[in-house]
Amino acid sequence: MASSSIGKKQVVAITGLFLILFLIFHLSGNFLIYKGPDAFNAYAEFLENLGAIKWMARLGLIALFLIHIVFTAMVVIDNRKARPQSYEVVKSVIKRSWATRLMPYTGSVILLYLIFHLLDYTLADHSGHNSIVNGQAMELYGLVYNSFQNPIRVAFYVIGMTAVGFHLTHAIQSVMQTFGFYHVRYTPIIKRVSLVLGIAIAVGFASIPFYMMFMQSSCVTGG
Amino acid sequence: MTKTISLTLKVWRQKSGNASGKFVTYQVPTVDVNASFLEMLDVLNEQLLLKGEDPIAFDHDCREGICGMCGAVVNGQPHGPQRKTTMCQLHMRQFQDGDTITIEPYRARALPVLRDLVVDRSAFDRVVQSGGYVSVKTGQAPDANAILIPKQDADLAMDAAQCIGCAACVAACPNASAMLFVSAKVSHFALLPQGQPERQNRVLEMLATMDRERFGNCSNEYQCGAACPKGISVSNIARMNRDYLSSKMRLS
Ligand code: HEM
Ligand code: FES
Repeated sequence: MASSSIGKKQVVAITGLFLILFLIFHLSGNFLIYKGPDAFNAYAEFLENLGAIKWMARLGLIALFLIHIVFTAMVVIDNRKARPQSYEVVKSVIKRSWATRLMPYTGSVILLYLIFHLLDYTLADHSGHNSIVNGQAMELYGLVYNSFQNPIRVAFYVIGMTAVGFHLTHAIQSVMQTFGFYHVRYTPIIKRVSLVLGIAIAVGFASIPFYMMFMQSSCVTGG
Repeated sequence: MTKTISLTLKVWRQKSGNASGKFVTYQVPTVDVNASFLEMLDVLNEQLLLKGEDPIAFDHDCREGICGMCGAVVNGQPHGPQRKTTMCQLHMRQFQDGDTITIEPYRARALPVLRDLVVDRSAFDRVVQSGGYVSVKTGQAPDANAILIPKQDADLAMDAAQCIGCAACVAACPNASAMLFVSAKVSHFALLPQGQPERQNRVLEMLATMDRERFGNCSNEYQCGAACPKGISVSNIARMNRDYLSSKMRLS
């Protein structure tokens, strides 16, 4: 399956597609932050208590990421070698999209982001002193709130989500072509959907750090 | 009297595949705007020969845009600035007096430079040899319209069959991928009834050869389709992706 150039690309595409589904699921969970600490913490606890399912999902995600990264790395490295001597005059025939050109870089930013993101929340103590707001134990919600009082972290998360946005605007429409869907009428629509959905997912995620940064601590504790 | 323009040419010169090459600048003071790009090079070559220098080697044959022999990268674009036009059909009226034109060979690992602007495109031949045909038993010529083909399929197959194998798609691709070429050859049979019996093997074999020849991988940038002098559509690449997937599934 993955021995040919198209096969590798289709592995990248299918893993990418599942990762996008994960992102959509993740984002809908995150939006519970807007419902308040109780809803969000209850959701986090629900996920925590899933036990075996949680670990299966985690291992699955790790596998998806690893496969996606290994196969893109193979493809990208081979592509670099496919033109040993570059052109003297570089002038593309049609405008090259930045999202497309930056795929390996936005992907790498996502990976870097992911490591810090896991350290920040997934692997952090959800009821340690960092989760206390105004003297009240606020669990994961408090941890998230406190962490986003630091503008540097907010900036880092926004950069991470900008990378996600760029990556997805190319990725969503690219998956369709990679699996062989092309249509004179629908492909331009798919490209537009890809652009809008990519930006929407990124903006959706990035809205949370801002919301947390500008919220008064008294609102967190309901005081 | 026809109009003439004066040009500065920066041309890649390389004696052989092993030799190292470099750009050499030539002044061409009176270029007839009605000359084709290749005729302009012919005139320059005559001057070089008179001076006892080696003429610039470039590929060409029909000079009417149908054989696929010509092609080089002119100012960064395969076959030059005019869309859907081979280099032999490009005319000097596309340029302005005083222009500097950089002419370099296609650059791809799979298409090594043989001399000056000539590259070795035999990798394309090997791709076609590995499946770009239908096996037929010889005998009486079959009746012309014995097999019905829907008009739309026939049109799409003809569109794909327009590929002249010039390799501009490889030259234009940021990854030096040959997907547009191979997909055109695959599609032109995949769309016709005669192509069905060997459809699955064909796509797998031709792709295996494409990979063995060390072309790059497609990243859906679509420079190829825009650069193609015959306007081959990237929808053919989608069709090949689809055929690859279904062939793999059925054969495994
Ligand atoms: C973790 C680091 C990541 C890296 C290094 C990375 C890298 C890449 C690269 C280089 C491509 C382009 C492949 C090509 O041009 O053929 C790509 C495509 C893609 N990526 Fe990622 N990516 C990463 C994470 C993600 C994530 C988190 C998602 C999903 C949310 C994702 C979804 C996709 C999709 C759907 C494609 C399109 C496949 C296609 O072109 O058909 N990637 N990725
Ligand atoms: S020389 Fe035949 S296509 Fe240009």
